[in-house]
Amino acid sequence: MTHFKTRFWLLVPFLLAACGNPGASSGIDYDHSYPPQQGGTLIDAMTGEPSGLIPMIAGESAASTIAGYIFNSLIKYDRNLDLEGELAKSWDISRDQKTITFHLKPGLQWADGMPLTSADALFTWQLVTDDKTRTPYGADYKLVLKAETPDPLTFRVSYSQPYAPAMDSWAGLQILPKHILQGQDINTTAFARNPVGSHYYKLEDWRNGERISLVRNPKATQGQAYIDRIVERIIPDSASQFLELLADNIDSMVLNPIQYARIFPSRPELGKEIALYRELGNGYTYLGFNLKHKPFDDKRVRLAINYAIDKQEIIDGVLLGLGEPVAAPYKPGTRWVNPELKPYGYDPEKARQLLKEAGFEDHDGDGILDRDGKPLAFEILTNQNKQREMSAVLIQRRLKEIGIDVHIRVLEGASFVGRFIKTGDFDVIVLGWSLSLDPDQFSIWHSSQTKPGQFNIVGYNNPQVDKLLEQGRLELNPDKRMKIYHEFSRLLLEDSPVVYLYAGYGLPAIHQRVKGIANPAPPAGIGYNSYEWYIPEPLRRNEMSTR
Amino acid sequence: MTKYLLKRLFWMVPLLVGISLISFLIMHLAPGDVTTTEAGFNPKASEESRQKLRKLYHLDEPLLTQYGYWLKRMATLDFGTSFASHQRPVFLQIKDAEGNINKGMIQEALPITLLINVLSLGLIVVCALPLGVVSAVTRNRPPDRAITVFVFVGFAVPGFWLALLMMYWLGVAHDWLPISGLHSLDYEHLSTPEKIADTIRHLAIPVFISALGGLAGISLFVRNGMLDVLHQDYITTARAKGLPENTVIYRHALRNAMLPLITILGLSIPGLIGGSVIAESLFAIPGMGKLFYDAVMMRDFPVIMGILTIGAALTLLGNLLADVAYAWADPRVRRGVAK
Repeated sequence: MTHFKTRFWLLVPFLLAACGNPGASSGIDYDHSYPPQQGGTLIDAMTGEPSGLIPMIAGESAASTIAGYIFNSLIKYDRNLDLEGELAKSWDISRDQKTITFHLKPGLQWADGMPLTSADALFTWQLVTDDKTRTPYGADYKLVLKAETPDPLTFRVSYSQPYAPAMDSWAGLQILPKHILQGQDINTTAFARNPVGSHYYKLEDWRNGERISLVRNPKATQGQAYIDRIVERIIPDSASQFLELLADNIDSMVLNPIQYARIFPSRPELGKEIALYRELGNGYTYLGFNLKHKPFDDKRVRLAINYAIDKQEIIDGVLLGLGEPVAAPYKPGTRWVNPELKPYGYDPEKARQLLKEAGFEDHDGDGILDRDGKPLAFEILTNQNKQREMSAVLIQRRLKEIGIDVHIRVLEGASFVGRFIKTGDFDVIVLGWSLSLDPDQFSIWHSSQTKPGQFNIVGYNNPQVDKLLEQGRLELNPDKRMKIYHEFSRLLLEDSPVVYLYAGYGLPAIHQRVKGIANPAPPAGIGYNSYEWYIPEPLRRNEMSTR
Repeated sequence: MTKYLLKRLFWMVPLLVGISLISFLIMHLAPGDVTTTEAGFNPKASEESRQKLRKLYHLDEPLLTQYGYWLKRMATLDFGTSFASHQRPVFLQIKDAEGNINKGMIQEALPITLLINVLSLGLIVVCALPLGVVSAVTRNRPPDRAITVFVFVGFAVPGFWLALLMMYWLGVAHDWLPISGLHSLDYEHLSTPEKIADTIRHLAIPVFISALGGLAGISLFVRNGMLDVLHQDYITTARAKGLPENTVIYRHALRNAMLPLITILGLSIPGLIGGSVIAESLFAIPGMGKLFYDAVMMRDFPVIMGILTIGAALTLLGNLLADVAYAWADPRVRRGVAK
């Protein structure tokens, strides 16, 4: 949606100049402290609409947001991104690390009052591994050799060999009710638009293209949330969301850097009503080389380009400072990041020297380096994403300074993937990875994953890294795993198959009437305890207007 | 006349098939399919799963075979179900065995877009008529110049920008109108008159913005039509009879000047089902523009084909209606037909 962001710029001078008072500001003191209390409605805005609410079939983020309110998994990530039980009160891993046994909490119920047992977990596993189910996520679960339910509170899965990412996969599998879905076609069932779950909220009403509202589930398995209702309004445009926030028609949204770093500071009165948060996103943006193409098979060339790119400049220019440089493909602040690794600094001299070593010099005096009569020139491909486009432009400028001729080509998403990524027909790309919370990145970096459609799109091949990635999958002990992935990140940084550009922040803005939000955000982000958020009665909206 | 009508209707069928074949082929020329976007860049989604999805949607078969499947379904007026939106029916609702109703995507989006477009066309006509008449009557004098400048500024101003300013001014700075959406959150609890008022309030800015852009064309049409008519002899006669100027203009001139306008309005009927992606995103209105845009982005072929086919059918039908109306209105055309 690049044009929406561009258009927002046009509104900026106006918003900066406007000194009118936003909305019906009513002299309420939001700083006053209130004890937690139940009730109230939180109105949030999302840019997209879920296609359905069966999480394993609907892949988009809007669906996971809503499904996350409705369904439970066996286990979940806590505030520090360590695993803890959700439906399971505990789990055991057998000595040979091949079998995981989940012990469910007793007395669990679905929102309709039926008991939630291990049979539901087994049923969900059967669904996600069923060939008829239209899910892209079956692969992790198909590794399970045998899944069994010795009793209603025990769910046991066995693998043919230890599989460390299994824990993450079980945290990602939301359990569906067998008593409702049995015998139905999961791909077409009306359940997708009228789900019954077990989490804090249940679906109240879904008006296509307009909003989805959720109410507290009195039978919730994890206790009761404070906030009674959550309304998710579907507003595709970020500028419109922002106006709704200013007008106090919604309570929360995710800001873009311009809204966060330009508009808010210039209008201090907004801070009285709206609190800004900053959390680390789950992804990073990188510049990737096609390692099968010359000259990118030469490590010196890759390093030279890495040294020639000023990452801080990109963060300041593109994200307005709201991001971090990274040196490993992991979410900053988690245990998987090797603290000894530092990103490559900006050093054009060193870049020139490395290129000279690789044989690139300006022989014909046209300002562009060349080797064997061929100029050092390539095309950076990226999809329609404003931040990636702007990063590519800054990179183009820096590379020109050391004598590399760069062109930029921006493509529509599906064409980009279908025509260039799958076929490997590219030199350099600017792309991003969003990451799961498990450190396993076998599918992205292992040399066996370079076929069309697989995810090692840069064609990285390092036997040492392959070995570490294989080991990491077999090791379930978090401390030993950490060492493996620290070493893996070190090798990866050394080889520089990609240039890490930045990891941007998520920038939620939430009305001050919502209390109980952790600030600064823990590694898991502010949403990890949204069930503990509350809206004190004196600060609530007129309840009639939200019904 | 009946023979003429039947003949026209009969020829619409091959035309529709042709249009659908061309749009089907062009759509499939675009690289990628729903599996390259749906599972897109999720390392958890394996290539085998994506191949499986391609098979389930018949995307692995030759194009003409796929078109055959589509045509076969279309023969029974079955528009199929969406790939990307959890099997939602593309056109009309489906009722399953348990009586759950799954609303069709076009069925929901079309009335919204139609409502906005009809309201905005109505607003355009209501404003353009007096503006055009005044323009023509005061030709090349200040009122005419002012109106021309106004309608051209309205035409030239970027709609989204003006929309944002209006949303800010009327919705944030003053609490006069809602900013986005179609209904208030408490819509279901309102009485019928309140519901109507609520919808009008929500549609006010979108309709105004969409009408402003169309004002220039129509008002200039009226102006030029009026100018033509005002130079006719019968207007001079009317004036010579000593009729008051208002009667001359509104009774004698305007009626004749409106004939070309009716043609233009007839031609704009097929356009009524198309929505603007930008306006719909901005105002969070779930209309046809956004539906089509998202479907193209997701390579959701059944939805794309559904919208294109319905659009084509409506266009053909619109043309037929216009022709029939002409034949009915004008004996010369009718007689030409009879031959």
